[in-house]
Amino acid sequence: MSRTQAVRIGGLAAALLAWEGVSRLGWISPIILASPSAVLAAIRADGGVFLQAFEVTLAEIAIAIALAWSLGIGVGVAAGSLPRLGATAGPLLSSLFAIPLIILYPLFVAWVGMGPASKILFGAASGFFPIALNALSGVRCLDPRFALVARGMGATTGQIFFKVLLPLALPAIISGLRVGTSLIIIGVVVTEMLASVGGVGFLISYHRTMFNTGHVYLGIFLALLAALLVNRGLSHLEERFGRWRILEQTRA
Amino acid sequence: MQRTALAGQLLFVGAVLAGWEAVSQWRWVDPSLLPPFSAVIQILWVFLRDGAFLADLQVTGVEVLTAFVIAAPLAISTGFLLGEKLHWGEVVNPVIHVVLAVPQSIFLPIFILAFGIGFLEKVIFGITHAYFVIVVNTVAAVRAIPAPLVVAARSFGATPVQIYTRIYLPAMLPLVVTGLRLGMIFNIIGVLLAEMYASRHGIGRLIFSWGEAFQIRELLAGILLVSVATIALNEVMRLWEARVGRWRSATLGS
Amino acid sequence: MARHVIEVRGLTKTYSPHRAPVRALDRVSFTVDEGQFVTLVGPSGGGKSTLLLILAGLVESTTGEVWVDGEQVRGPVPEKIGIVFQDATLLPWKTALANVEFPLDLRHVPRGVRRERALALLEMVGLQDFADRYPHELSGGMRQRVAIARGLVQDPRIVLMDEPFGALDEQTRTKMGQELLRIWEKTRKTIFFITHSLTEAIYLSDVVLVMSPRPGRILDVMPVDLPRPRRFEMMGSEAFGQARNRIWKLITEGEG
Ligand SMILES: Nc1ncnc2c1ncn2[C@@H]1O[C@H](COP(=O)(O)OP(=O)(O)OP(=O)(O)O)[C@@H](O)[C@H]1O
Ligand SMILES: [Mg+2]
Repeated sequence: MSRTQAVRIGGLAAALLAWEGVSRLGWISPIILASPSAVLAAIRADGGVFLQAFEVTLAEIAIAIALAWSLGIGVGVAAGSLPRLGATAGPLLSSLFAIPLIILYPLFVAWVGMGPASKILFGAASGFFPIALNALSGVRCLDPRFALVARGMGATTGQIFFKVLLPLALPAIISGLRVGTSLIIIGVVVTEMLASVGGVGFLISYHRTMFNTGHVYLGIFLALLAALLVNRGLSHLEERFGRWRILEQTRA
Repeated sequence: MQRTALAGQLLFVGAVLAGWEAVSQWRWVDPSLLPPFSAVIQILWVFLRDGAFLADLQVTGVEVLTAFVIAAPLAISTGFLLGEKLHWGEVVNPVIHVVLAVPQSIFLPIFILAFGIGFLEKVIFGITHAYFVIVVNTVAAVRAIPAPLVVAARSFGATPVQIYTRIYLPAMLPLVVTGLRLGMIFNIIGVLLAEMYASRHGIGRLIFSWGEAFQIRELLAGILLVSVATIALNEVMRLWEARVGRWRSATLGS
Repeated sequence: MARHVIEVRGLTKTYSPHRAPVRALDRVSFTVDEGQFVTLVGPSGGGKSTLLLILAGLVESTTGEVWVDGEQVRGPVPEKIGIVFQDATLLPWKTALANVEFPLDLRHVPRGVRRERALALLEMVGLQDFADRYPHELSGGMRQRVAIARGLVQDPRIVLMDEPFGALDEQTRTKMGQELLRIWEKTRKTIFFITHSLTEAIYLSDVVLVMSPRPGRILDVMPVDLPRPRRFEMMGSEAFGQARNRIWKLITEGEG
């Protein structure tokens, strides 16, 4: 175990202890602040139920991610590499981005029902905009000489796209994926909270009405855990494909 | 160039609306799932003269405004202090960035457990949505003040007040306005979500109940109204942003 | 008499973006002989880069023709023409070696062959020990050398260079000029070189083409009568000064 790991684990343990201590002091009502032991109790009582719900939620998230990533990157890169389309689509997309998408959720429910489909649709829609916008501006900001040089070397249009433009825009694309994906995760859980019959969000809402604060916290932790995991994954991706960008910036 | 882009956008929006009208009129989709655009506009027109609807709209408007009026000065002063007092900034900034990365929406149930359901809860939820973006942008704005300019102004004998009003303010304004714009959007999202989740009043509540009652025509009218209003607000703030930021694009461009 | 490896006849280029059309080139004609080192100087915005892109087949001219090696240019001809830009435009995620290999990679040249070829070129530009470095780990001058190696890797007969040393400090720039001459003498490529520096133009070339402000016309084709190999001290000579004055006069009077 490395030193930093030890420090981290120590810090976490201290925070948990402090949290438990504060809860025990009774300054804050246990209805608002569940103690770690209350969360533990929730795990003991309903851990299995939560795990099953978590699986449902994760599956919805996975499908929404697949949709939003492919559509977002596809539309963004395409619009970015066609100057006319980019000049039109860019401002349009960023105007649409201002709409609070959550108001569309009741419509999705009316269209496809209370089941997973409406959550997937909403998650994908909320992830789409930042992903497409970042991909679009990432491609548009590239120095046009890169494409020129490649063409002068005899590169085909496909080669220019896949071997030059896409990798150059990748750091911008990945930072769009980061924002978009966290919106997807939250979108799925929040819409489960709003109206559904399953998933972690449903359990959060259900236990809130019962004032089972420990359960509510457990559900929120699971959702944050999903966000954390995906964020970690993206960091790896960023490190692998965007390393040169980071190094360049630290040099400059 | 910009004019053709604008024409393209209007064309696109027009085409979408016309397509919507057409598929519904010709019954390519079930009109009970997607009533025609014209029908939605009609009912929206009725709503806009309906006192009860306007009262709900007002509730939401007041919540949003109250949250913004509280959050903006609070966040700007926090950001200014963090940016100016560098040694605090080093400690607090990473924390703020972590908090910003954590989605606030998901804590809504805890807000309700803490503040109940009502005006206070909506406003506080809106404030937390707006606050952090504005702080982060203000810190960035302070960092963006060109130090050589401050030194130069001092050497000309500028007073501290002059330095604040003549250099700090114009240099910071573009990024601060960006923060305010994003803060406003997040604030609206927060308030609407809180209304949809649990509330007795407000346009968010209306939209949610129309959905539950399968009143798609009314639901679409509400969605349309909120969308147009937020887009308009966003565009106005973007214009403001472009105005105070003109000097930036002039020096950074080309 | 050597044959013309580049022949340009009556080139005119009008950019027509959405608003007012911009005339960048006006009836440009000239020839370049095999193995010559030709530079093009002229005021900023005069149309030099435009001319280079047309020569490379990357931009279409409005009227006129470009012939390279007896064939009319209608699109990129990578096997005949290599290009080097200012700021190198190296791919930041590839090492120096991989960047030099890149043009061969595009044409599916087997790995062993292209590696050998790229290494030989890196050696020629003096960077054999930096093959595994990434662009951001190299100095500006080194990056530009990698770009030159990349421009040469397909063994083109002609190399087009657009202000390749424009972003370098003066010392590095002078050194790179000497280096380029050494490479040129070794490989005997035809070089078409754009620069803002009159000194650089005279020091490097056999012939200087002087271009007018926009729309670019060729004001003069001026042979440089300095012996080869060029040496640094020549910059102080009388012949050098006279050539400099003449170009300066052409450019400033052309503007007035
Ligand atoms: N793609 C383009 N579309 C429209 N106008 C262009 C384009 N490229 C260049 N121009 C215009 O053509 C003119 C000549 O440009 P060019 O880049 O060829 O000049 P240059 O001599 O290379 O200048 P510099 O010395 O600054 O590099 C300029 O007025 C420029 O604005
Ligand atoms: Mg140029």
